[in-house]
Amino acid sequence: MAEKIIGIDLGTRNSAAAVMQGGKPTLIPAAEGTTAAGKAFPSVVAMDKDGNLIVGSPAERQAVTNPENTIREAKRKMGTDSLFKMQGKDYKPQQISAFILQKIKRDAEAFTGDTINKAVITVPAYFDDNQRQATKDAGTIAGLDVVRIINEPTAASLAFGIDKAKEDMKILVFDLGGGTLDVTIMEMGGGVFEVMSTSGDTQLGGADMDAAITNYVIDEFRKQEGIDLSSDPQAKERVREGSEKAKIELSSVMETEVNLPFIAQDSSGAKNLQVKLTRAKIDDLVGSIVQRCKPSIEKALEDAKLSPSDITKVVLVGGPTRMPIVKKFVSDTVGKEAESGVDPMEAVAFGAAVQAGIIAGDVTSDVVLLDVTPLTLGIETLGGVREPIIERNTTIPTSKDKTFTTAADSQTAVTINVVQGERPMVADNVSLGSFNLTEIPPAPRGVPQINVKFDIDANGILNVTAKDMGTGKDAKITIQSTTKMSDDEIKKMQEDAENFAEEDKKKKEAVDIKNEAESFVYTTEKLVNQDLKDKIPQEKGIQITDAIKELKDVLSQDAEQIKPKLEALKTLVNEVTTELYKNASPPPGEQQSGEQQSGEQQSGEQQSYANEEQSDSNSEKKSENTSN
Amino acid sequence: MSEDKKMINEKNTEFIDNSEITDEQINKLKEENTDLKDKWQRALADYQNLERRTQTEISQRVSEKTNNLLLNFLNIYEDFLRAENSLSKEKIDTSGIIAVIKNMENILAENNIKPIEAVGEIFDPQLHEALSMVEDSTLDDGTITQEVSKGYISGKAILKPSKVIVSKKKN
Repeated sequence: MAEKIIGIDLGTRNSAAAVMQGGKPTLIPAAEGTTAAGKAFPSVVAMDKDGNLIVGSPAERQAVTNPENTIREAKRKMGTDSLFKMQGKDYKPQQISAFILQKIKRDAEAFTGDTINKAVITVPAYFDDNQRQATKDAGTIAGLDVVRIINEPTAASLAFGIDKAKEDMKILVFDLGGGTLDVTIMEMGGGVFEVMSTSGDTQLGGADMDAAITNYVIDEFRKQEGIDLSSDPQAKERVREGSEKAKIELSSVMETEVNLPFIAQDSSGAKNLQVKLTRAKIDDLVGSIVQRCKPSIEKALEDAKLSPSDITKVVLVGGPTRMPIVKKFVSDTVGKEAESGVDPMEAVAFGAAVQAGIIAGDVTSDVVLLDVTPLTLGIETLGGVREPIIERNTTIPTSKDKTFTTAADSQTAVTINVVQGERPMVADNVSLGSFNLTEIPPAPRGVPQINVKFDIDANGILNVTAKDMGTGKDAKITIQSTTKMSDDEIKKMQEDAENFAEEDKKKKEAVDIKNEAESFVYTTEKLVNQDLKDKIPQEKGIQITDAIKELKDVLSQDAEQIKPKLEALKTLVNEVTTELYKNASPPPGEQQSGEQQSGEQQSGEQQSYANEEQSDSNSEKKSENTSN
Repeated sequence: MSEDKKMINEKNTEFIDNSEITDEQINKLKEENTDLKDKWQRALADYQNLERRTQTEISQRVSEKTNNLLLNFLNIYEDFLRAENSLSKEKIDTSGIIAVIKNMENILAENNIKPIEAVGEIFDPQLHEALSMVEDSTLDDGTITQEVSKGYISGKAILKPSKVIVSKKKN
């Protein structure tokens, strides 16, 4: 088993780690639980007066009580000779980082259940050799062999899968965190990333935006009620939490409200805070902060000697880039929409995990890349309805089977038509091939059991076997390529399925109701003419026969015509059978329940009807149980 | 038995001779076989691990969702506490509100949610978040003097730390 290597985003304010699982990066949750920063945790280290080391959220929580022994943003000092002091003892920046890495190692071990000895760690693109070496040393101190140091923007690009692109490109990575902005421009060719320029602002971030929103809400309340909430810590904290929630909501809706009942009290009684916030208002409040990002983008472009139109891809990193105004600002400035699909807060850790996976061999060689079936595979059943056997996106190799039955009395052969596609009617899908299962002993419809098995091997070769469970006789077909279609064709079929969903549903319903009607006619006729011939009052018998005739007359028409006639017949039959059971002596309870059970079993096993090979038209076939 | 075996061996030898399989090819096949066996075992192991992980992930997600819902519920619960407090100051009958609060507290108890003790306790960063300090020489260092927002625990996990103001002795 290849050794697991984790990917670490060792950030200035927050850190996170991820690991490849089943070929996909997964974030490692912090042991103390998730915080506002998601599964990431604050890069804060502290020591209490008893000499206990505290890392992450708890360290952050105690910071104001113990500021002289709490260390933040040690990353800014990496590679320098600065020393930090905790409880009178000196620590190098790499030792502080090592405490954070140790916590990550513990969390990762708890999460994966494996011992973790190796890691890929990310650093800012502007880190020099000294700073990179210091980061590597921090890993060593923490008991981690740092197998690779990669740039944060490169990691983010990896998370978005940009390295897989064949053509050369120029990528702009816009990383706006809680307190810093980093803009990096990279050139990528043949999977190799090269930094062209970096720029940024160390005093700009999401924290400023949150403060602007909170202050606005407090101001509004002051205007409305003449009360200043900023002097009441309890009220201020509630406003901060409410504003944060509203900010997040406004990324998906246009308008929301900060609603804080009983926020204050004066002589006239309790005061409620109700402040409406629109997306436009938020944009107005944080607009000037967002605009402060502009010089960094311009500087990065200038240093790389590029114009915005030279940029091929834009990657966003950091929580604040989730805000629509930030996204719009970047796309307006660069003239290109940013990549999407990965949470910008997790992108760097994910990318580090992808790099770790490549090094461990998890991503390419060691893992067998399993294919999936792009379209649903099934067979044709009565009335041209497709019955799915293997649903699309099923990982192969796989095998599945279903049991079918005949559609007519004394039917001795069935045709298995193998179809591929997403639409419910066979005619709208592609037929991959068909074969016959013959020599089925003559039996009433619904009695023979024909098991149809689909087996796809790892190479995508499909074997379909139909077996008569009664005689054991079978027939089969091998379909070499289930993906006869190009990717474009597959996409078109999937789109068609979505576009025609409503229409297809109607078509299928029409066939279903017809099948149900035919089946009901068949059973009722059998009931009236054979099973209960002497037990039904003559008058009722005539009524039923008439109702059957009426239903038969409309069978070739629309579902709308068939439905009422079918219902009428059902009601009549129900009346008769209810009457019969009333008059009959009650059967032993056990027997009754036994019968019910076997009935249920049958309907469960025999899902549908294999299409009949005989030449008579559908309308003449009589079926049973199709309503199941 | 041993004769049978021998016969098969002889047959096999004959077969190998006829088709001229070289040692190199045999070794290659052996290697491939080992490789396949390894991959198969890993696939099995991966599957079993996945099954276990899926179970944990399901319960984690459920508790994540439940906790989020409970946190929202706690906000409303606290609003009711504030309402009761405010109205009773105005000498308004709050017995109805008190009944609602009791029902809410029953729901919290059923879900094993408890408020974190704060005022008068010694600050603990695992449970509390300090927002500021006040000087007070009558109290032990690190005593919580005010609770700014209530914290809750669900079983052993922190649902939300309480936000507090902590005392320190005058220098």
